[in-house]
Amino acid sequence: MKSFPRLLFWAMHLWVLAYSAVMLGAFTIQFVGGEFPCPLCMLQRYGMILSTIGALWIIMQARRGELTAVRYAQGLGMGVLGAAAGALVSVRQILLHIKPGDPGYGEPVLGMHLYTWALITFYVVILFVAVVSMLAPVGIPEAPTRAGAQRTISTLIVGLFALVVAANVIAIIFLEGFAWVLPDDPTGYNLLDQLGL
Amino acid sequence: MDIIILALLLTAVVLVVRGVSRTWVVVTWLLALVLMLGLFRYHVTSPLDLSF
Repeated sequence: MKSFPRLLFWAMHLWVLAYSAVMLGAFTIQFVGGEFPCPLCMLQRYGMILSTIGALWIIMQARRGELTAVRYAQGLGMGVLGAAAGALVSVRQILLHIKPGDPGYGEPVLGMHLYTWALITFYVVILFVAVVSMLAPVGIPEAPTRAGAQRTISTLIVGLFALVVAANVIAIIFLEGFAWVLPDDPTGYNLLDQLGL
Repeated sequence: MDIIILALLLTAVVLVVRGVSRTWVVVTWLLALVLMLGLFRYHVTSPLDLSF
């Protein structure tokens, strides 16, 4: 099982990459499909980011050679707490639209609404963390020691996630404008309306 | 509030990537989590009309 720590290192990247892709998909629906995210939709994005910061924490410490079992456990804990918080919001939104005849919020993707998909991703994260925690005695993530293609790929994935979070900051400034919270059913960019643009 | 939460999350990401301070990462991350849950509480305005 010598390669297991390296496998775990890349599994953490898969976590980061998967949630980056999910949030890019949400952006596509927002900017191309013209569907504005509701307050609960945004809260689920925060759950995804909170959870992914746990994986990022593990990756970056492994890359610096500072990852210990305790810090690995801390990162996994952050991942589960973020996923649990996001799942709480997803469940609320699913229950809001669970009655027969309710069309749900937004257009379904592959037969299910985005909040239902979000709940599935949160459960996948929780299951993943449970499995890797049980396998912790076999090994904890270990980064490639030399600079090379693998380090570059790792940097690109980490950079993509940072860019996605930064893009969310810019998007929320336009969505929320000078208000404290998002409207329940947003129909445009508050900031542009408030500035009369 | 959403802007503050996302700004905190971006700060946490930058701190993790730059490896500045693990304590500050945990503090910003926890603050973002608490604010997120508070905002969720704010948006939950009525009990669901459901019975299981």
